[in-house]
Amino acid sequence: MNNVDLAMAATDAGGDPDGEVTLDPKVQESIGRSLRAHYDDIVNSPVPDKFLVLLAQLEATEHRAAGASNDERN
Amino acid sequence: MSATDFKDGLIKEIPNLRAFAASLSGSMQLADDLVQDTLLKAWGNSEKFEPGTSLRAWLFTILRNTYYSLYRKRGREVQDSEGTYAERMATHGNQESHLDLADFRKALAKLPEEQREVLIMVGATGLSYEETAEICGVAIGTIKSRVNRARTKLAELLSIGSLDDLGPDRHSAAAIQKVASEVAGT
Repeated sequence: MNNVDLAMAATDAGGDPDGEVTLDPKVQESIGRSLRAHYDDIVNSPVPDKFLVLLAQLEATEHRAAGASNDERN
Repeated sequence: MSATDFKDGLIKEIPNLRAFAASLSGSMQLADDLVQDTLLKAWGNSEKFEPGTSLRAWLFTILRNTYYSLYRKRGREVQDSEGTYAERMATHGNQESHLDLADFRKALAKLPEEQREVLIMVGATGLSYEETAEICGVAIGTIKSRVNRARTKLAELLSIGSLDDLGPDRHSAAAIQKVASEVAGT
């Protein structure tokens, strides 16, 4: 059981304030695993180049702006 | 924090931003538009980020606000016309979970947004309950309650397939038991 599962289990052990159903720990674990499988599948997929290009452009623009203001001061 | 450090921080968070955005919008294409908007806003407001605090939590707040103000409606339209990403996205990697990933994504997409987002944040992103509460602007108790409801509803959806199939007793012990026995049988 990892930390996330423990955190979720601890939440349930704390009672359910709204009188909701408390799920079987095995069901909770299964949902937790699937949740991370879903999320990690996307996290581990390749990042489109356009994001890196965008950030490089933003950084270059900022450098140019900084250079321009330095020129003005000098 | 230098512009380069900030940029490197953003680059590291892109995979998490995409996964959260896809979970919210139900579409990988919308997710990438949403991530792009988020990166632009983050860059333009970089002076508001406090070094030493969680960049992920800060970026998730921007992404979430952007989604609710601009993308929510588009997300619904895409889901209506093209089906959700859950049904269309190719999955890769090994699937150790006994639940089929595609089935799980369909069920996840059926959760109310307010439940889905907290379940993802608490259950998959590594954000704490406290951070999640701050991002959503609600109390921690509300987050815990939403997580509980989300998991209960997922268990129902995964065991029966459709809410429409459920009788008036939504919290039927039999439905829960079915999932439990499937888990035990794996």
